[in-house]
Amino acid sequence: MVVTSDLRTGSVFKSGNDALFVQRILGQKTGRGGMVTRFRVRNIVTGQTSDVALDAGEKFEEVDLDIHQMKLSYIDGDTYVFMDQTSFEQYELAKDDLGDNAGYISPDDDYEVEITFYEGKPVGVTLPILIERTITYCEPGVKGDTSGKTFKPATLDTGIEVSVPLFCDIGTKIRLDTRDGSFVERAK
Amino acid sequence: MTIDILCKVVDNYGDIGVAWRLARALSELPDPPRLRLVVDDLEAFVALRPGLDPRATFQVAKGIEVVAWQGPLGPEAAASFRARPASAIVECFACGRPDWLEDMLFAPGAPPSLVVDLEHLTAEPYAAELHLMPSLTRSASVRKAMFLPGFDEGTGGLVLDRSFEQTLARASSEEGRAELRRSVIATLTGAAPGAAAQPDAIGPVGAALAAPDDAVGRFWVAVFGYERDYGRIVADLAAFAARCAARCGVAGTGGDDARGSVPAGTVRGSVPDATSGRPLLALAAAGKSQACFLAAWEAAGRPFPALALPFLPQETWDRILAASDFSIVRGEDSWARAALAGRPFLWQAYPQAERHQMVKVEAFLRRLQRHFRPADFAPIARAYRAFNDRDRDESGTAGDESPGSLFDAYGTAAAGFQALAASLAARTNLAADLLTFFRESV
Repeated sequence: MVVTSDLRTGSVFKSGNDALFVQRILGQKTGRGGMVTRFRVRNIVTGQTSDVALDAGEKFEEVDLDIHQMKLSYIDGDTYVFMDQTSFEQYELAKDDLGDNAGYISPDDDYEVEITFYEGKPVGVTLPILIERTITYCEPGVKGDTSGKTFKPATLDTGIEVSVPLFCDIGTKIRLDTRDGSFVERAK
Repeated sequence: MTIDILCKVVDNYGDIGVAWRLARALSELPDPPRLRLVVDDLEAFVALRPGLDPRATFQVAKGIEVVAWQGPLGPEAAASFRARPASAIVECFACGRPDWLEDMLFAPGAPPSLVVDLEHLTAEPYAAELHLMPSLTRSASVRKAMFLPGFDEGTGGLVLDRSFEQTLARASSEEGRAELRRSVIATLTGAAPGAAAQPDAIGPVGAALAAPDDAVGRFWVAVFGYERDYGRIVADLAAFAARCAARCGVAGTGGDDARGSVPAGTVRGSVPDATSGRPLLALAAAGKSQACFLAAWEAAGRPFPALALPFLPQETWDRILAASDFSIVRGEDSWARAALAGRPFLWQAYPQAERHQMVKVEAFLRRLQRHFRPADFAPIARAYRAFNDRDRDESGTAGDESPGSLFDAYGTAAAGFQALAASLAARTNLAADLLTFFRESV
């Protein structure tokens, strides 16, 4: 069994006969009674997506999945092509199948990701929790403000926008948490 | 239809308070469902509903079957579930489900069921976003959905039980309000049938009720919060009491040992018409805030009469809230009751990490300010922020909260809170909405 609090982008779980892939975490609300998380999930058989809200304690069946370590070879439009580092076979995943994870990876990356297979078909990707990306655009950095408590929008080399502290500048390498896209620290 | 309401008591009585009120409200609807209330802490429930047996695995209160959460089920409860399998289930505050119910729901061939996660009350916009949003379980035959109480359209609203509606109706006229207060005093002094409190339990300040007619005419302040230093609040109440005393020439505005102790020279401003210069009476609810409030009151020289209330059944506390001119409330159920009662109140949100409670306070202020002109609302917002903006609540925690400005413009504040209550009462009852949802979905 897996509980809601175990789920993250790229997770697959079973509800009834449906194997559901977590495409996106839409938001969370916290309170005294625990957390409720809104997910966008995709039925990995029918491809249908839906938004659901799950409280932290709900339990789900795990899905029999195969996990293969791969690297992103190249991106062709909305198709992401990964290469198995053992067999050197290539597998294609649509951008939609990657969910929000598509915004954190680039063919220039050297790190491996986990490609999830369901009944022989690649259905999703799980990233390392921490990854490094480069800022390609943001408003000029504010020198002296190293508190990290005030944020501004920044565009990454993958094209997505995240929030970064004021001291960051174009060209700054940053470390991100791929579970929620939050800034962790400036990469060295 | 049978509805099972599940409740785990996390701390205090808030969870069971909401669950019990919801059960009562559902039972009072036209063509009501049959109800089972599954509770993990019957000791806490007994405090709200005297007469229940905290050791019984199955009993009936007001026609509602009360089942102990801890399994295995006793023969009566098992027979009840055999005769009427769980098909409509309310999980109060994502409390989960007992193992024996889990086994029933997910057994092969089990009938379809719908589970609703009834979440905490909030004024935040997410209440409307999450309300009725589909959720999931591990079985296609056990569907699940979110149900969010709230103050706005698009949410599930607030629970209105018949007893509370009747109490509000009584409080809506001056005569009815006086009669309501007399009934409260009779209950507190043990003079009414079914009284829950013994006079001794009221403590050394019980003499404040020795002259019921005097007590009925006072400006009632109900206090039910978390631990804190109530020094500033007591000082403001004392100054207000002094102004009232100066206006109407009342003798004996102080507590038992404090008659004549109102300090000279504290009279300032004018007493608003809405208070009619009435002397003050504080009613400190049992629980976390009582000792703190009375300590501050003692330290201030007992500047007005104060009652240390015993733990009261839900209906009695409702009557006190509805009969009070000003309240300090905490948590969820008393917050909702105070909002529906239409008198000025301060809400103390449960303190959370990184002062997240302020998000909830600001959301409520945004909802409340619709009923005020900006200038009139400023002192109310100030009082709410000062009251809540802190890392934690404990007896030594002092703040710069000052509800005095709220009393200075009591009439204006009362009109705004009355408008809030009217807007809430115009909405549908959460219990009725929930029953409709189940009937349309199961």
